[in-house]
Amino acid sequence: MSEYLEFQGISKAYPGVQALSDISFRAEAGRVLALLGENGAGKSTLLKILSGDIRPDAGGIVISGEEMSFPTPRDAILAGVSVIYQERQLVPLLSVMENIFPGALPKTALGIDKNRLRAEAKAVIGKFGLPIDPDEPVGRLSVAYQQMVEIMKAYTRNSRIIAFDEPTAPLTDTETDILFRLIGDLKAEGKIIIYVSHRMAEIFKITDDVVVLKDGKFVKAMRTQDTDERALIQAMVGRDIGDTYSNLSRNEEYGDVLLEVRGLCTDALDDVSFSLRRGEVLGLAGLVGAGRTEVVRAIFGADAIEAGEIIFEGKQVRFTEPRDAIRAGIALCPEDRKEQGLILSRSVRENVTMPVLSKLKKGLFNMFLDRDAENRLTQEVIDQFTIRTPSINKIARELSGGNQQKVILGRWTNEKVSTKLLILDEPTKGIDVATKAEIYQMVCDFAKAGFAVIFISSELTEVINVSDRIIVMHNGHITGEVMRQEATEENVLALAMLD
Amino acid sequence: MSGTTQKRTLTALKRFIVSKTAAMILLFILLSAAFAIISKGIFIKPKNLVNILSSMAISAFLTEGVALLMISGKLDLSTGASGTLCGMFLAYILRAGFPLIPALVVTIVLGAVIGFINALVVNSMDIAPFIATLATSSVMTGFIYLIANKKTIDVSNPVLKYYGKGMLFDYVPVSALVAFAAMVVIGIILHKTEFGRNIYLVGGNPTAAMLAGVNPKKMSYILFSTCGFFSALAGITLVSRLQSASITGISAQRFQGITAAVLGGISFGGGSGGMAGAFVGLLILSTFSNGLTVIGVSPHWQNVASGLLLLFALTLDVLNEKRITNTVA
Repeated sequence: MSEYLEFQGISKAYPGVQALSDISFRAEAGRVLALLGENGAGKSTLLKILSGDIRPDAGGIVISGEEMSFPTPRDAILAGVSVIYQERQLVPLLSVMENIFPGALPKTALGIDKNRLRAEAKAVIGKFGLPIDPDEPVGRLSVAYQQMVEIMKAYTRNSRIIAFDEPTAPLTDTETDILFRLIGDLKAEGKIIIYVSHRMAEIFKITDDVVVLKDGKFVKAMRTQDTDERALIQAMVGRDIGDTYSNLSRNEEYGDVLLEVRGLCTDALDDVSFSLRRGEVLGLAGLVGAGRTEVVRAIFGADAIEAGEIIFEGKQVRFTEPRDAIRAGIALCPEDRKEQGLILSRSVRENVTMPVLSKLKKGLFNMFLDRDAENRLTQEVIDQFTIRTPSINKIARELSGGNQQKVILGRWTNEKVSTKLLILDEPTKGIDVATKAEIYQMVCDFAKAGFAVIFISSELTEVINVSDRIIVMHNGHITGEVMRQEATEENVLALAMLD
Repeated sequence: MSGTTQKRTLTALKRFIVSKTAAMILLFILLSAAFAIISKGIFIKPKNLVNILSSMAISAFLTEGVALLMISGKLDLSTGASGTLCGMFLAYILRAGFPLIPALVVTIVLGAVIGFINALVVNSMDIAPFIATLATSSVMTGFIYLIANKKTIDVSNPVLKYYGKGMLFDYVPVSALVAFAAMVVIGIILHKTEFGRNIYLVGGNPTAAMLAGVNPKKMSYILFSTCGFFSALAGITLVSRLQSASITGISAQRFQGITAAVLGGISFGGGSGGMAGAFVGLLILSTFSNGLTVIGVSPHWQNVASGLLLLFALTLDVLNEKRITNTVA
């Protein structure tokens, strides 16, 4: 009798939301089950129940015929459940080996038996065929390898069930391949694997079963081979959104050259040159660490420039701080919306109006903020971008990821800002399928409105289909340029890996 | 137009009722009632109430400077030392024959410069403000001893005396009036001006604020200098009241600014709180220490009690932060 994990009628309510209602499904050993759903569908809540972080209001978990209850995370671990979250749960200053065997360190009379620990860690690392030094502090590893350490930790605990929460979000394509190989190994060993991801291609590549949730309810379960992308999206969204990319209404007419970068060098960039016209969407593709973010940060005045010229609106410029770039008409929506984009503890209104406060003033010497003008502007942004928020004074932290991203887009494209160049760094990261499609159309609309747009994304499909022209980077320099019509995932990826 | 204003007032009212400020006002009322009963009414005699008001002036200045810094996500532990040093400096130069107005100006500038140096240490070496200002505080304490040479410096100046001990309409201490007026002005700056808004933005998320065109470094120079400015005012106020400067100066009050700010809902995390809350925090703090004196608690036990009050304030702050992070799944 092979092992299985079964959710039986799981329900969970938070004040004001029914996060999960009566969810039941079964995951089999030796198979990978994809858990799919838009943001807010209840995937994370379900994983948290599985890991013992929160307790369901009703329903239970059965593992191979045995009813389980996980009052604390420790109980879940003892029962053989490991949930690997996006946020690593490792100790950065401790070595790889110490992180792999937490709480189970081999001891001698004098303390930890380092040699045995190293040997055991080497055995596990070797088993997965990874180039990791067991003595290296975990904090010095790349995000991808930290994740591998986390997987090895789960493996050495003898976990029967391993769940992944969007594991590939921070990974490059090569790293993703390594991860998939590891998941394949775990599957071959008969583990029960649950895989949460927004990326369709991955679902078809590595999963055997799919369960779709929507608004906390079970929608359907099926074999992955029996379905296709369109059917899955339809199940997640609840309606047919068609082929996202071919339905985009794009800008056809370009204006004059707005930005020209010549021989740009910083400590992360080497001789980067390109130009961009008004109305054009320029994609920056490349693996993580290729220097895409560094290019836009240098233009924006956030990083120091060592050499090179930037010509903006025909004038040579070099901004020493973002404030000057903003004044000139450049806007940056940074890659990490929670860490760099939003002020989570402040209201939607304050997040929208922050770069244009000097234009929203009244009273003696124009000293005071004009609250009514601020409210009007925020309301316009909310209406234009259909931001779902109960009020303009709602704290940004409480909005969903997609709505948070729209707040940032609205901040930089409303009538009060004089944006000419809009830089979008990973604007769809961690955002659900339906909102992603909305954002693609917004990007095209910005181009139609005359903005020049730089669009950075680690998702190849997205960057080649949304941009008009794609610049590919590797290791701090440009390795090639392709037009959308000629771009394929293969030729862009080949350039991205070119030395 | 008036409709939206009305709605705004209503939601503001609703938010107030469930806010921490309301809870703190309740605490203040309970505390006052308790002291009034235990002291058999002495606590609420007009004379004592005036005492409380005058004692609030110095801590109000300290609170103002530190609260602004805390909202911007920074902290200054050197206010006690810099205020004492400035008071000492004022007494010294007055004795040396400086006329009053230039002496005051120079003293206040000295306070601002000390604040600027704090900002310089914090920014150029990227040290946590907590550690940096602890170090500068120790340097300044050294200077205080050097200038004073173990003696107190007497000052006799009628204008200073009026500022420090004078009463308006017999019941309103002049220095407290100045301190409260400053509080109102800061409240207006915080809530009605771009500069004030930027303090909240920088405190909420310095990186995001920077990428939206606010310069967090520049803000920290301005706010540390402002904090030094207010520390100087606190030091000047004590010298005016005592008509002398001593090495202890306002060092006994050094944590009052932070305590009042935290009691008033200004979190160490930055980006939240305001002057109304800080005022309530100040009221609680002053009531507390005066009340303990009135009911005859020994000064040593008073120290223990103020320490506990600071701990209580910190607990509230930590609990509040936890509540915020927990509600976000």
